Amino acid sequence: MINTNSIASSYSPPIKIVIKYMGTAVLAFVLLTFLQLLEYETITGHHFQPKILALTHIATLGWITMIIFGALFQLVPVVLEVKLFSEVLAEIQYWIYLIGAAGLVYGFWVFDSKNFIMPSAIVLNAAMLIFAFNMIMTFIRVKKWNITGYYLAAAVFYLIVTAVAGLLLSINLYTPYIKINHLQYLNLHAHIAFVGWVSFVVMGVTYKLIPMFTLSHKYSTKSALGAFVLINTGLLGISTAMHYENTTIFFYFFVILIAVGIFLFLYQVYMIFKNRVRRKLDVGLELSVAAFIFFGISTLTGLITGVGNLSDVRNLSLIYGYLIVFGYLSMLIIGQLHKILPFLRWYHKYSSKAGKENVPMLKDMYSEKVGYSILYLMLSGMAVLTISFILDIQIGVLIAFILFFTASILFMINMITVLRR
Amino acid sequence: MITKEMRVSHVLQQYPDTLEIFIKASPHFSKLKNKILRKALAGRVTVEQAAKIGGVDLYNFLFELNKAINQLPDNFEKMMNRPKQEEELGTNKPEFLINAERGKIKELDVRPIIDEGKDPLSTIMNFVKNIADDEIFLLINSFEPLPLYTVLGNKGFEHFTEKVDNTFKVYFYKTGKEHGIKEDKANQIDDTFAINLSGYENVIEINVRELPPPEPMMKVFETLPRVDENTLLLVHHHREPLMLYPKLEERGYRAQSNKIEENYYKVFIVKK
Repeated sequence: MINTNSIASSYSPPIKIVIKYMGTAVLAFVLLTFLQLLEYETITGHHFQPKILALTHIATLGWITMIIFGALFQLVPVVLEVKLFSEVLAEIQYWIYLIGAAGLVYGFWVFDSKNFIMPSAIVLNAAMLIFAFNMIMTFIRVKKWNITGYYLAAAVFYLIVTAVAGLLLSINLYTPYIKINHLQYLNLHAHIAFVGWVSFVVMGVTYKLIPMFTLSHKYSTKSALGAFVLINTGLLGISTAMHYENTTIFFYFFVILIAVGIFLFLYQVYMIFKNRVRRKLDVGLELSVAAFIFFGISTLTGLITGVGNLSDVRNLSLIYGYLIVFGYLSMLIIGQLHKILPFLRWYHKYSSKAGKENVPMLKDMYSEKVGYSILYLMLSGMAVLTISFILDIQIGVLIAFILFFTASILFMINMITVLRR
Repeated sequence: MITKEMRVSHVLQQYPDTLEIFIKASPHFSKLKNKILRKALAGRVTVEQAAKIGGVDLYNFLFELNKAINQLPDNFEKMMNRPKQEEELGTNKPEFLINAERGKIKELDVRPIIDEGKDPLSTIMNFVKNIADDEIFLLINSFEPLPLYTVLGNKGFEHFTEKVDNTFKVYFYKTGKEHGIKEDKANQIDDTFAINLSGYENVIEINVRELPPPEPMMKVFETLPRVDENTLLLVHHHREPLMLYPKLEERGYRAQSNKIEENYYKVFIVKK
């Protein structure tokens, strides 16, 4: 008669540390859009340049990964019904990570591999290992595994692979020892980072958060499982193939597997949205929908670039990078933070007062108008930037970067509004 | 027409009069009389499952239910694809019963207990404890106590039932061979709940299944002041509200969730 029956227990997530990570990430995003605005002339050159590498790592380490750490400390207890192993480790990790990330970015900026890049890479690896240890110790206690759990566990694995690959690359900059092309290895480092680490977290969390926000149910999760198998096979495949020469055929095969896996994920997201009870989407969800569309576009672009051997086509890899970092990930993070942060703040400050006195609704926690301005600024920024890259219009790139910078300022303002409510 | 696939809660909601049929069919369904238990437990169970839990014949049960609501189709028997069986009670009386000495038969009439609206199970079980191996336990009841066959069967009792007028006489006797111990699911229901639901007089029900976070939480908090020692708050929720628990704790309430199906949880909230 009774399916499962659980007695209430508390998995309350550590709010202070979550806000610390997320707050730092928002600042990093503003810094990122500001610096790329200053350096817009450099960006139109080849992607393997010191300043571009610095900017890339502000984006990946300061903005994206910082957000993910904060989000996971918040979500893992809720999603897997387990207490975070150690909040103290999360705090220690924050400082080590911050030092490592800042050192690495500065190291790339001035291109000093001996004093900054390599030591920072070591510090960053330490921070990643602390994180992985904290997560693994948390995972051990999980009683009810679900699809999100599998994705998160895989993501932690790829984070370590990314970090170690990054460390090896940083040593190679100092004393070259990697036999195969440095850029090929860099390509691997980047794709394990974006697909294995970042996207696995995004996918796993999406399966949980989007149904929660849209009240969606009664859909099959077969695509989610299919995506998991395909992308893992593809990633492990290209990681192996890249160590050998003349493996083009394998490489194509695995790249296609990954692409199909990503489209399965997007199909799963489509199914979730299709089965939603709440028809109207708010600004947070609209930003997320736009981000998922960009994920599809960037995957197609990546597939064409990789399989079509077009990496020499001018600016294509730049367009590809911006589609991922700004179109897909930044818009998703901005959208999801408009959902998560107001909820966290509300829960922390108002939930104890609800029912006793008047408390604000979630949508009163931030300005929806500002939210929509961010959405339109990001969308027009992406459009202007892509066209400007294709036609090589420098002034267009500058305009796009102004739009992104404005969006980041508005985003920061909206997040501060949430925290001050 | 009531079919075996219908949910008990649905049947009771549409045809409140059938409650009597349920209770008459098996004393285990007497729990349904309690409004709170009915809401809490009957949500997921189909008529077919209920028949199984109660240990009653599904066919007869459906027959009775449909008769009670005057929706018994003429071709009911055909629809059920089963001919009506002849009463087989009271035939082939075992040898030893015929020869049994009067003093060896211990009699318990549970009709007065049932008339009071109580579950006679605990009285029966206490009575059975004092039955020696060579004694016979005679139960007298106004209906055939089907679930008891399983319960006492697990304790090694065989049974023989005869019907005299409208009274059922059930003889339980030991044959020496133990049956495999099967867990009696009907009796587990109350044990699995840490909150004893039958201890509450009032129930407040709220449905937050269509609300996005944190509105379900807000609605619960708004309702809390109305929840006193005698009141149970039953929340229909689309997921288990993990983040609600610590906040309830803080305010002196405790909660428990019962998963009915994917995306449907019944959350019980009571004052500590």
